Amino acid sequence: MTEALEAPVGVGARRLDRAAVSWLILGAGVIGLQLLFAGRTFPAIWDTLISGPIDQFEAWGRSNRLTHPLFTGFFQPVTDVINWGLTAIEESLLWLPWFVLPVAVFAIIARNGNWRSGVVAGLAMVYPGLVGLWEPTIETLALMGVSVLITVAIGVPLGVLAAFRFRFEQGMRPLLDAMQTIPAPVYFIPMLLFFGIGKVPAAVATVIYALPPVVRLTALGINKVPVAAVEASRVFGSTNRQTLVKVQAPMALPTIMTGVNQTIMMALGIVVLATLLAAGGLGQEVMDTLRLRRPGRGVAAGLAIVAVAMVLDRVSRSLAERDRSKQIDKRWVLGGLAVLGGLVVFGRATGAVAFPTVWGVRILDPLDAIVVWARDNLSFITRPLNDFVVADVLLPVRDFLLLSVAWPVLIFVTAWLAWKWKGMGLAIFSAVSLLVVGFIGMWELSIITLVQVIAAVLVSVAIAVPIGVWAGRRPKVEKALGPILDGLQTIPSFVYIIPVVMLFTIGQVPGLIASVLYAIVPGIRITALGIRQVPNESIEASQTFGATPRQTMLGVRIPLAAPTIMLGINQVIMMVLAMVIIAGLVGGGGLGFETVNAVVRNETGLGFEVGLAIVVMAMILDRITQSWAERLQPPATP
Amino acid sequence: MVAARTFQAVDWYITEMSDNGSAAPVCLQIDQVWKIFGNRPERALTMAESGSTRADILKATGCTVGVRDVSFDVMRGETFVVMGLSGSGKSTLIRCASRLNEVTKGRVLLDGDDLTAMSEDELREVRRHKMSMVFQHFGLFPHRRVIDNAAYGLEVRGVDKGERIERAMEVLEVVGLKGWENHYPQQLSGGMQQRVGLARALTVDPEILFFDEPFSALDPLIRRDMQDELIRLQETLQRTIVFITHDFAEAIKLGDRIAIMKDGAFDQVGTAAEMITNPQTDYVREFTKDIPKTKVLTAASVLMDGDSTAATHRVHLEDTIESVLPHLLSDLSPVGVDDVEGTAVGIVDRQAVAHVLEAEE
Repeated sequence: MTEALEAPVGVGARRLDRAAVSWLILGAGVIGLQLLFAGRTFPAIWDTLISGPIDQFEAWGRSNRLTHPLFTGFFQPVTDVINWGLTAIEESLLWLPWFVLPVAVFAIIARNGNWRSGVVAGLAMVYPGLVGLWEPTIETLALMGVSVLITVAIGVPLGVLAAFRFRFEQGMRPLLDAMQTIPAPVYFIPMLLFFGIGKVPAAVATVIYALPPVVRLTALGINKVPVAAVEASRVFGSTNRQTLVKVQAPMALPTIMTGVNQTIMMALGIVVLATLLAAGGLGQEVMDTLRLRRPGRGVAAGLAIVAVAMVLDRVSRSLAERDRSKQIDKRWVLGGLAVLGGLVVFGRATGAVAFPTVWGVRILDPLDAIVVWARDNLSFITRPLNDFVVADVLLPVRDFLLLSVAWPVLIFVTAWLAWKWKGMGLAIFSAVSLLVVGFIGMWELSIITLVQVIAAVLVSVAIAVPIGVWAGRRPKVEKALGPILDGLQTIPSFVYIIPVVMLFTIGQVPGLIASVLYAIVPGIRITALGIRQVPNESIEASQTFGATPRQTMLGVRIPLAAPTIMLGINQVIMMVLAMVIIAGLVGGGGLGFETVNAVVRNETGLGFEVGLAIVVMAMILDRITQSWAERLQPPATP
Repeated sequence: MVAARTFQAVDWYITEMSDNGSAAPVCLQIDQVWKIFGNRPERALTMAESGSTRADILKATGCTVGVRDVSFDVMRGETFVVMGLSGSGKSTLIRCASRLNEVTKGRVLLDGDDLTAMSEDELREVRRHKMSMVFQHFGLFPHRRVIDNAAYGLEVRGVDKGERIERAMEVLEVVGLKGWENHYPQQLSGGMQQRVGLARALTVDPEILFFDEPFSALDPLIRRDMQDELIRLQETLQRTIVFITHDFAEAIKLGDRIAIMKDGAFDQVGTAAEMITNPQTDYVREFTKDIPKTKVLTAASVLMDGDSTAATHRVHLEDTIESVLPHLLSDLSPVGVDDVEGTAVGIVDRQAVAHVLEAEE
């Protein structure tokens, strides 16, 4: 008895000692390293360690592309097949009379009885044509189609394998984790090496980037099938194959389709970005208008991307829907197909195939004018804001981290945090990988990006957490915010930049604002979820003891929701990081800008170095914040 | 009306299907079966065989002993109930018997064939033709209509569509689901869903049926209905049944014989009357304590030798004491007892009944 009572006290005392020691280590390390290394820049001793061989390989590849079996036997055939698929889809979509696509979109969604949603999506499909962007839209859709088909063809079998082979799943997991942590543009760089410039590398990069959700959700869907259903199948003497085909796969289908939906949305995001690889389509359109200073057209193209995103989201969700009671009669479906066929014949016969583009231009010129007017007239706000953020916040912090603090101190503090929150393994990983980043000459760029990330994360958290808490407490607010947040989450990250760039022109601040806009959505969502999930019993217990609403909030709700909120912040950080990289496109500087440089100037070696730095930063930030969230979790066992 | 129609269907089912199987009296034989979960079963087995407790074995090897040296025979046409609380190993045991779980040691013989020694292909053939199972949470296939659920066993066996649908329809009628065949399982109530589970098990015309707590997830009233339905079906079908439950009352109601399971092993095996009149462990006594004996015990359990020709009242061997008591109370003389054929076999008197009812206290 006495032992049991004394034990916690003993543990508490020991813990206190450990905490004191760890703080001492931190203090001593920081002071010591600062004194030793103050004023010295990071020695880039391995400057060409990575870029050198890669550049050599690239040079070798360029001169042997037509002869070496690696290219003639593998990469060239792959390229040819993908190219063939792209052309086939693109040509057949353009062969169809333009109005067939919107009608088909409407029909697919309406067959589940969602008439209004079908009309909205059908109209959204018309929009790109109205602003004269029909062909780039089809181009984007074709690239999407091919990428998603390949992704599903690879991802579903991998997911099935992962569901049945525990070892395989174990091996895949860290790989999938890493793939989801890495910001999209990083995938482009190795593609250049193997596939050169154009649509094929864009498709391959998309496949790799969008693979994780299909694999994950396929495995999840199959594992989620109730044990009893599988046992029932086995006990009646089904072969493994029969169980898979007749029971597990159909029961997992809704989950798999959710994965496909996620994959489609991720693929759209990266396909738009793939303009960097000269992949054409809507992304190219946006980039061109930015370059040509035609902001109105940029907005129109951005909206076209949003429209495509919405259409794809609705269509893929509608395909996933399995509620048979709402589904309309089969005869209607057949009738609809007949009507579509009729439309095709009618369109081809009358020659009404291409989208009538007459309207487009008339809308675009005034749009340009409006956006220019807004930019000029809002500059009394935007310019001082821009100057303040750059001169008084970003630059001083950057200088502090780059010049005042010695670089070993930063590495030490990072490793210390990793050690304290997770353990020695992560600490060593962080320290070693940061050293490598520095030695290959990426330290300064990394710090610039880090400062942007920190700034955007702080602003995002300051906005998202209070709104999330508010929404979590008031179901009505959450319900009202729901559709807005849904809509924002469907929009590919790149689109966020467009309106901001229009108003601020190019620089660091638009990237930051776009990052904040992009990242607050999951921040709000997950915070609200955390607050809402606090058990009602705990709240009532607190109230029964006479706690004020404030006391209940600070003493019960927020602590109990803290682990979930931390996960939300982790999401915010990861999204900000991804966006900051993308913001490099509009002159945000740092690693992102260097990525763009590497891709545009075809400096693959540099690209690999930048990519490595981004991956290191992403992984460290991800792991450290996740282990922080885990530590906030109340202990599961006594 | 419904009952009459159903009984006709049952009659049909009997004539069509009851001529399978050999005449051997033992259907299922569980022979010293062990099941140990974990990575070091050999070590755990050695420990367990030398008498270590479950907790010690878990601590030392990280292995859980699910089933501990269990043996029993189930006769053809018998309903054998395994009763135990959660964690007693009863679900593991039934999964060993159907080889959904591989046994660690021991043999499972169905019609004399050792299931544990069979290859996957042989096992599949046995499963397709001889056994089926009803699950606690139904284990239905939500993406298939009721009729396709019921026909599943025949489908994997390769029976063509027309034939399997026809047979599934007949069985659905037997379990009272005629008219629901085109619905999806989730559109049905819990009790009806389990009727689908029952139909799916019966469609393959199995020799042996495994029931894994089939009625535990149902409301009490529905549960009673389903128990009555099963008794009714079993009266005519005469299948071999292994039935798992955590409800002692259910065990008494359904079981020809009952096994009480605790910590992976059998505490006692016997008929309901044996359990109640002669519980061999305190654990079994705990369960029998609250059971109204007059409703469970029959004249057979208090039968004495004696000349019954003089008795004014006559009862059958299978009558419960509850129904015998009024006769004993109305009259001081003993009650005469007849067997099923009407032959006098003995007497029951006040003293004998009082003795068995007081035995506990």
